[in-house]
Order: sequence, then structure tokens, then C-alpha cells
Amino acid sequence: MLKLEPIIWLLFGAGMMVGGLLLPAIVLVLGIAGPLGFAPAEALSYERIHGLATNPIGRLVCLGAIALPVWGGAHHLRHVWIDFGGLKTDGLVGPVLYAVALVTSVAGAVAVFQL
Amino acid sequence: MSNARPRLDAMRPSQPGPTRTADPRPPDKFPGRGNYLGYVLFGSCGVFLLLSSILVLRIVWALAAGEAAWNDLMAQFQNPIYVAYHVLAFVGLVWFTLRFFSLFPKTQPAKIGPAPRPPDAFFAVALNGAFAVVTAALAAILWGAVL
Repeated sequence: MLKLEPIIWLLFGAGMMVGGLLLPAIVLVLGIAGPLGFAPAEALSYERIHGLATNPIGRLVCLGAIALPVWGGAHHLRHVWIDFGGLKTDGLVGPVLYAVALVTSVAGAVAVFQL
Repeated sequence: MSNARPRLDAMRPSQPGPTRTADPRPPDKFPGRGNYLGYVLFGSCGVFLLLSSILVLRIVWALAAGEAAWNDLMAQFQNPIYVAYHVLAFVGLVWFTLRFFSLFPKTQPAKIGPAPRPPDAFFAVALNGAFAVVTAALAAILWGAVL
């Protein structure tokens, strides 16, 4: 795990930055304004959102919003776990969290590629 | 002063092997007092990063699966539990990002590559400005106000 630490830190820092920039707007519009009826229904239609997501920049945004923040989240949660006395189980919890991040990143890359 | 070696080394472990150390313990007043609360909340916001990434993955999967899957996902998002989570996640992510950007200058060295480190005000304007511009632009695009 120590050998992977620099790579994990790089993904962690990039994840915080990219997640902080991209996720609030996505959550606001698709998770709150859309379901509550504030955002126009035609703006959230399948054709329009599919068109946005399949645009090359849209694909990059989707991939960035999936593959990077998940590493930031996993690394943060690992350290919260350690702070609350979980050092002895870090050997299990850390790899599980990073495995979730790895699987989500790979699944995100495949999903965006196949979109 | 005598040069005689002491017959008993008080610091010597009773048995060979790694030296035992005390188990780590949290500092006093952890986690509810002082700066610890903000620190713990900041770390806990990792759950919003992780879950929201998986949420975007679900959105992309639904888009790939076709219009019926997309409409089904949008219908699921109307569930009050989803809405409550998204409100909490939005508040948490905005607070997390603004705190991250306020901490960011403290992590920077005196020199960044060959260039001297910019003043803190530069980081504050650049990072918070980028957050405001990107969030507003992306929200406007998704909302249909632009494009």
C-alpha cells in the first residue's frame, strides 16, 4: 500500500478539485431542481442530456465526475475511519475503499466509452 | 566522573524485538470541540464525493441504456429520500469545496517550480472564482439556459 501512496495522493488531490468543481452543479440540477420541478422538463429530456453527455467535452466531464472524486472520497473516508480508532482495521478498510474507487473508475471509463 | 558502564540499562527492553509503543489515542475534546469538528466534518464529506460519483455513474448507465431507463431514473430521483440526500450532498459539497479552497494556500510551498509562490489573495480569487464560474456554467448548461 505504501508504494501506491503517491498515486493515491495524486488521485485524492485531483478528486477533491474536480469533484468540488463538477459535482455541486450536477447534484443541484439533476438531483434537486429536476425532481422538484424547478428545472424545465425539456431541458432534462433524454435526447438533450444524451446529446450533452455524448459530446467529447461532455464525455470528459462525465468521466472526470466519476473517476476522480471517488478516489478523494475513498481516501477521506479511510482517514476518518483511522481518526475514529480504526487503525487496527485499516489493513482491511483501506483496500476495500480503494477497491470501490478502482471498480467505480473502471466502470465509469467503460460506461463513458460505450455511451 | 567514572567511565564505568552502568550495570543496568533502564531503557533496555526486557525482551529482544520491536519496541512497544502506546496505542494512538485521540486528542482531548476530539471530535466535538474546537477545530476538530470542522476537521471531522470535512473528512466526512468524503462520503458525498464517493456517493455522488457513483450517482453520476448511474446517470451515465441510464443514458446508455436508453430513454426508458433515463425516465425511470428521473422518476426514482423524485423519491423524497433521494431529494433529501441530494440537498444534503449539495450543501456538503459546496461547504467542502469552499473549505478545501480556503485551506489550499496553506499547503503550497514558498516556491512553485521556478516561480515564487503567489500571494494568498491570488489563490482565494482564482479558486473561488473557478468554483463560481464552473458551477454556474455547468448548472446553466444542464438547466437549458445555455446550449
